[in-house]
Amino acid sequence: MKSSLIRPALALALAASLAACGGSDKAEFTVAGSVTGVVYDGLVLSNASVPLKVAPPTTAGAAVRFAFPDKLEYGDTYAVTVIANPLHQTCEPSVPDGGIYANNADTAGRLVSIDIAINCRINEYTVGGTITGLTGAGLVLANGSTGGTYTAETPKNPPATTPIAYELPPVKFGTTYGVTVSKQPAGQVCTVANPTGTMGDAKVQSANVTCVAA
Amino acid sequence: MKSSYLRASAALACAVVLTACGGDDGQLLLGGTISGVTRPGMVLTNNGGSDFEVPVPSNGTGVTQFSFPQLISSDDKYDVQVKSVPSNVNKDSCRYRYNTGRAGFNVVNIEISCAFKTQALGGTVSNLKGELVLINGSDRVIVPAGATTFTMAPVAQDAPYGVSILTNPANQSCTIANGVGTMGPADVNNVTVTCAP
Repeated sequence: MKSSLIRPALALALAASLAACGGSDKAEFTVAGSVTGVVYDGLVLSNASVPLKVAPPTTAGAAVRFAFPDKLEYGDTYAVTVIANPLHQTCEPSVPDGGIYANNADTAGRLVSIDIAINCRINEYTVGGTITGLTGAGLVLANGSTGGTYTAETPKNPPATTPIAYELPPVKFGTTYGVTVSKQPAGQVCTVANPTGTMGDAKVQSANVTCVAA
Repeated sequence: MKSSYLRASAALACAVVLTACGGDDGQLLLGGTISGVTRPGMVLTNNGGSDFEVPVPSNGTGVTQFSFPQLISSDDKYDVQVKSVPSNVNKDSCRYRYNTGRAGFNVVNIEISCAFKTQALGGTVSNLKGELVLINGSDRVIVPAGATTFTMAPVAQDAPYGVSILTNPANQSCTIANGVGTMGPADVNNVTVTCAP
């Protein structure tokens, strides 16, 4: 008698525990993450050909959360890519805090949840132009105090007759630049044409320097 | 005779091997990256000793990799601090990451960043009847009509500066005197902007 009660109870418990693993309750995963550094409109991410627009944050500098609408099941793969950059910016999958590799592509279920990191930076372009008539040694050009310097090579004797191209370090979109002659070459005075401006979407190649005898 | 040579050379070989692995010197690097080194005088210590002056990098950026000449051993505790700084650096400004720990393998990830001392940059304006925009590279300052002085963002010692006009005031043209130079140990306040007509 005793054993006949225990047997059905065991069978019931087993059935209940099997149901817990049952097909209808499969774990689902949302392909989600955050984008840092977005300032301008236009970012579009994609997973499995499904596009997802990401707008800049309402609070400047904040990270923006994103989540694709379709849920994945355990074992499904995902690969989030940037298919359109914001204006004036470039975005890429990045290494999450505490990670070693970018985590934009993986298999659902390998981690408890999916939290992809994407980082955007403002595009930057060099400032430069040509130097004409340089015969003296020691010319140094500068872009303010933090924009870097360019030191011209000592001219050969006789000096080259073709203009020398120069480039100062890159400047971010929307940032001002002002090229000045930080050190004049020996025996000459150089002036800069088109020395100032605000960086646009292409490198500046018109800050031309002309040097004449002092 | 033969065996005595053999013994001597064996002993020598042993000595060489032992020296190579020598206890005090260790075999692991202790280093990382430091910024703020444009002049001699940046001295680091490990556990209060092993004073090491960081060589000045030649590229003028002040940023360089460093590694203590004295190696450390596996499991050694380390604590790297700035002992003294060059004359153009504020010691209180130095910030550290990963500068303490216990060596497992070569330590190359210490980060030390020290800020340069800065000086004010500014001057006077005369006859300004509209809005003038001055820049020093990426630093942009709007000078309103009627202003007689202006102040740019502070500039690090030894850094160049070049104050230029981004936008002239309406119907006026301005010129700048003393707008270019290299920041020394004192404030610069002699940049002169003159507008006409």
